[in-house]
Amino acid sequence: QGGSVKAGKMPEGEKMRQCKQEEEQQQKEEEREGLIEFYSSYQELFQFFCSNTTIHGAIRLVCSKKNKMKTAFWSVLFFLTFGLMYWQFGILYREYFSYPVNLNLNLNSDRLTFPAVTLCTLNPYRYSAIRKQLDNLDQITHQTLLDLYDYNMSLPRSDWSTLSTQRRSSRSLLHHVQRHPLRRQKRDNLVNLPENSPSVDKNDWKIGFVLCSENNDDCFHQAYSSGVDAVREWYSFHYINILAQVPDAKALDESDFENFIYACRFNEATCDKANYTHFHHPLYGNCYTFNDNSSSLWTSSLPGINNGLSLVVRTEQNDFIPLLSTVTGARVMVHDQNEPAFMDDGGFNVRPGIETSISMRKEMTVRLGGSYSDCTEDGSDVPVQNLYSSRYTEQVCIRSCFQLNMVERCGCAYYFYPLPDGAEYCDYTKHKAWGYCYYKLLAEFKADVLGCFRKCRKPCKMTEYQLSAGYSRWPSAVSEDWVFYMLSQQNKYNITSKRNGVAKVNIFFEEWNYKTNGESPAFTVVTLLSQLGNQWSLWFGSSVLSVMELAELVLDFIAITFILAFRWFRSRQKLSPPGPPPNSQDNTAFQDEAPALSAPHRFTVEAVVTTLPSYNSLEPRGPSRDGEVGHE
Amino acid sequence: AATAPGKKITARLKRTLPVRGPQAPTLSELMRWYCLNTNTHGCRRIVVSRGRLRRLLWILLTLSAVGLILWQCAELLMNYYSASVSVTVQFQKLPFPAVTICNINPYKYSAMKEYLSELDKETKKALETFYGFSEGKSKVRRSVDEWNSTGSDFFQQIPLLKVEDFSRTATDLHSGQKRKIEGSVFHKDSSIVNSGDSNDIIGFQLCDANNSSECALYTFSSGVNAIQEWYKLHYMNIMAQIPLETKEKLSYSADDLLLTCFFDGLSCDKRHFTRFHHPLHGNCYTFNSGENGTILSTSTGGSEYGLQVVLYIDEADYNPFLVTSTGAKIIVHDQNEYPFIEDIGTEIETAAATSIGMHFTRSRKLSKPYSDCTETGADIPVENLYNKSYSLQICLHSCFQKAMVDSCGCAQYAQPLPAGAEYCNYKKNPNWMYCYYRLHEKFVKEQLGCQQICKDACSFKEWALTTSIAQWPSTVSEDWMLRVLSWDKGQKLNKKLNKTDLANLMVFYKDLNERFISENPANTLVILLSNFGGQLGLWMSCSVVCVIEIVEVFFIDSLSIVMRRQWQKAKKWWNGRKRGGSGKAPQAGDVERQGHDNPVCIDEDLPTFTTALRLPLPQDSPLPRTPPPNYSTLRLETAFTEQLPDTLELGQH
Repeated sequence: QGGSVKAGKMPEGEKMRQCKQEEEQQQKEEEREGLIEFYSSYQELFQFFCSNTTIHGAIRLVCSKKNKMKTAFWSVLFFLTFGLMYWQFGILYREYFSYPVNLNLNLNSDRLTFPAVTLCTLNPYRYSAIRKQLDNLDQITHQTLLDLYDYNMSLPRSDWSTLSTQRRSSRSLLHHVQRHPLRRQKRDNLVNLPENSPSVDKNDWKIGFVLCSENNDDCFHQAYSSGVDAVREWYSFHYINILAQVPDAKALDESDFENFIYACRFNEATCDKANYTHFHHPLYGNCYTFNDNSSSLWTSSLPGINNGLSLVVRTEQNDFIPLLSTVTGARVMVHDQNEPAFMDDGGFNVRPGIETSISMRKEMTVRLGGSYSDCTEDGSDVPVQNLYSSRYTEQVCIRSCFQLNMVERCGCAYYFYPLPDGAEYCDYTKHKAWGYCYYKLLAEFKADVLGCFRKCRKPCKMTEYQLSAGYSRWPSAVSEDWVFYMLSQQNKYNITSKRNGVAKVNIFFEEWNYKTNGESPAFTVVTLLSQLGNQWSLWFGSSVLSVMELAELVLDFIAITFILAFRWFRSRQKLSPPGPPPNSQDNTAFQDEAPALSAPHRFTVEAVVTTLPSYNSLEPRGPSRDGEVGHE
Repeated sequence: AATAPGKKITARLKRTLPVRGPQAPTLSELMRWYCLNTNTHGCRRIVVSRGRLRRLLWILLTLSAVGLILWQCAELLMNYYSASVSVTVQFQKLPFPAVTICNINPYKYSAMKEYLSELDKETKKALETFYGFSEGKSKVRRSVDEWNSTGSDFFQQIPLLKVEDFSRTATDLHSGQKRKIEGSVFHKDSSIVNSGDSNDIIGFQLCDANNSSECALYTFSSGVNAIQEWYKLHYMNIMAQIPLETKEKLSYSADDLLLTCFFDGLSCDKRHFTRFHHPLHGNCYTFNSGENGTILSTSTGGSEYGLQVVLYIDEADYNPFLVTSTGAKIIVHDQNEYPFIEDIGTEIETAAATSIGMHFTRSRKLSKPYSDCTETGADIPVENLYNKSYSLQICLHSCFQKAMVDSCGCAQYAQPLPAGAEYCNYKKNPNWMYCYYRLHEKFVKEQLGCQQICKDACSFKEWALTTSIAQWPSTVSEDWMLRVLSWDKGQKLNKKLNKTDLANLMVFYKDLNERFISENPANTLVILLSNFGGQLGLWMSCSVVCVIEIVEVFFIDSLSIVMRRQWQKAKKWWNGRKRGGSGKAPQAGDVERQGHDNPVCIDEDLPTFTTALRLPLPQDSPLPRTPPPNYSTLRLETAFTEQLPDTLELGQH
């Protein structure tokens, strides 16, 4: 009795359930039947599409066929909106594929990791230690200066005589040095002035040295307007050669930390011994990098001098190489951990007798990378081998690039840059014309013919330290006595020239917070889709699902074409009279089943009927099922 | 009827706006009706399509569209609080910032003699005993005996020690006796850079006065640092006992410090400077502090139009142990900002002309919810001890001072006094040193929570400084310049000024461009909504109305249908029980209730689930009612009239 009540209450549901049961039964009997049902004719297909599609313009276009005027109007409107929409789409796509970015400014105030600080002595080797090697060169320089400028350089001659035997053995060096003599030439050959005339303004002259290719067929004059530059450049050119010949140049320098750094404090505590690493730079001398150890990094808890690094440095230079080190003091550089210290790029000179307070501001730049901006995450996608053992930076890449080119073109490696595998440093006893090659390459490098600047991309994450300095005299006149006394006492080193002998450096953070300049995509996929959807809705009121409807229509159309063709073909084969094909039967069944088809609410009727699998033209047992449903 | 109006209105409302439940009797019916009539795409196809696979495909498509909408909208929402930065460079007449100038040496050494003589003697003695340094006078040595009697106890309490090879013994400065370092010693550092001679390591020991086994030993690699640090410790104790007025007198006056002043091409004098007493730097003078209400501005950029001062730095009157460098310190700051000279001041060298070019940048961040910054600092639970506008630095210092007063009972000398507290000194708080160092260590390790409480300020001004230095005065101008300046200084100073006592300072705007960096919300509500609309439209051609529709159909209507079913079941069960009790035939009642009398279809009683829960069914109304099945009478006729034939047929069966 409950069942009957239900049937009375909700007949439709009951019916559907029964239908389902039947369908299930059917499925058991014949599998894969009624999965997809096709329309019997094109007309029906289009009718169905017309009455059920959700694309706004399309309904009017296809379905109002009674009025030709109206159809024309709607088709014009359809194509117009279609065009407008695609125009807008084009604009949107163009904007998206230009990958615009938003700039983000973040102020972070975490504990600041103190950067690595590198301090160099500005003197590569103690003159007394390297005198042997440089002896010949100094002598030649002495002679050259005497010739060109009438300057008699006072060289310490004490041990020259003892070295005479060695000098003979290094006769080849003398030969090589004389291959590239320092010469003076007139700037303008047209003005014919007598040589060595003291009245000539030195600007009319250029001084330099000649570099030739291997077989002397091509030469050029490396010239300088100032004699000081020329002499230094010429000297360091030969100096590199000499160093490259010394097999264990590294053994020459003695890391003398205690004699360079007198006192070291960080954040009101004495520095740890483990806090520094040492390396030797052929021009800047012994360099000590503080806080480069990644295991225990210093962090600054507060800004200010007291919470930074404070060093007392010896700057006395009685043992400097006279022609190479023309600067007194020390060189400081602040850089990130795991980045090599390029002292000539970002150094800061410290004056002797002065307390230099360097305040830093940290700034980080984070680029998005990928297609948004031209940067590289870790340098692995840059076609240049990283010769340094450090993290990728643009400078590392450019230098590696130059060195690799140098090895390739000149056959030897430049002394100031790291050695690639299997190469050796340039030296004109082995590579006769490397100087010529080097200067040529340098010119090409600067003009970016080598492509180093193009190949090397900026890293996506960059940390910069903006430095500004204040100076004050140190030590003050009243405290001078005890400070010097204690320093000399403590380090067992007699400070002779008082004030010029020491310098103090303070490096500290100026602000507790640091800026991060970030990028974020201004036009993401989500916004792009939203914009597309906006346009689509605005012009068509359609959606992705409408497109699927269209796709379905096309597929159905193709399928029906095939079915009809197949059927026509079969009927031709059977040679049966080309009467109405079996699908007409189905049609009648369908019409029988739904008598309300003539009503204006035609599509809803169809909708009701859809529950009944009536389009079973492919099935032999279709009519029987229809009958069953009809009986219901 | 007199009390009716309220009821009448409700009755009228009920009549005109009747609340009805869903028309469809079952859930599947409801879904079907919804799919056929909704404007949302996809749903209709589920019903209309023929073939199970096809229908399944459409169900999947529709569901995935819904899923995509939800996902994309969630993404939009999550990215809503993002900000973009705009940088504006404007050219305008810029107000000149406040420039605070201090001598590095805080107080005149000659004037401080009476306060510091004991300490200085002690220091000299330390230098002599540890390093054999004496200033050539034997006076120091002679008075050794006096010290032990006259010397303050406090120096003895915290003497300099020479630590020997980490063997836990140390040589006392006073007695020369070795004494054991007892208790839990913690070195501020363990291994020392200059470890050449372990004899060199000197330091001092701070002990808890109440519990002498708790000690902290501070060692220094360099004797210079050790002496200075130790000196500073005692110096702060002494200074804490001197009242502010006396201290101001002991320090430099404006006439002492400033020799000449020139601003924007016009001469200025000490009236343009405001005195400001800094605990560590003595009297400082702020130019253009805005105290009298006017803030000066420069007409153009360039060194000629900035501030030019010549400072007199009397190097001979410096404290030899407290400060070892000579010069002045300046800081450029906003009129409302507190100058933290000790932290970020720039030093000025004597016998040189220092040009400081400024570049002005103003930044503004968006506060909550975009970032965690504070506009005024009023929402930070730390009292601002400086009567200047909020900054992170001020907050941190105030927070530390507060903690200091709370745990040590007195205030640290370098920071302002909170209300009701006083500066630490030995006499009153013998334990403060130890307490301070412990607290400071906690602070540095972020255990005090100050770093967590204090937030950034949202807007801040910044003057980027570029310093350059030239020799000054030049050798040829030195002679006359010094003479003129000495004459200016007045006759009371009857010696000629030395060039190492002078510093020339120029502070100027490099250009009058103001760089203004501001954050703007990248998304507004309008953009968010239109993006939502776009997503809804793109996948399903849906709108807010259809969202409401979905809510109505899927939540309210479905629920009420379920409730209705449940209610009906409960009712039936109840009736069955009643009938079982009365013995009445169950069929009759049910038959009676068929059609529109069926409680399922009585809409007025079961509009929503709440009323459904509350209202009793009109079970005791046996009267037959008006005929039509009421869910076909509404505006939704079309949907259900089509089903009518079937339904009716079945009903007639």
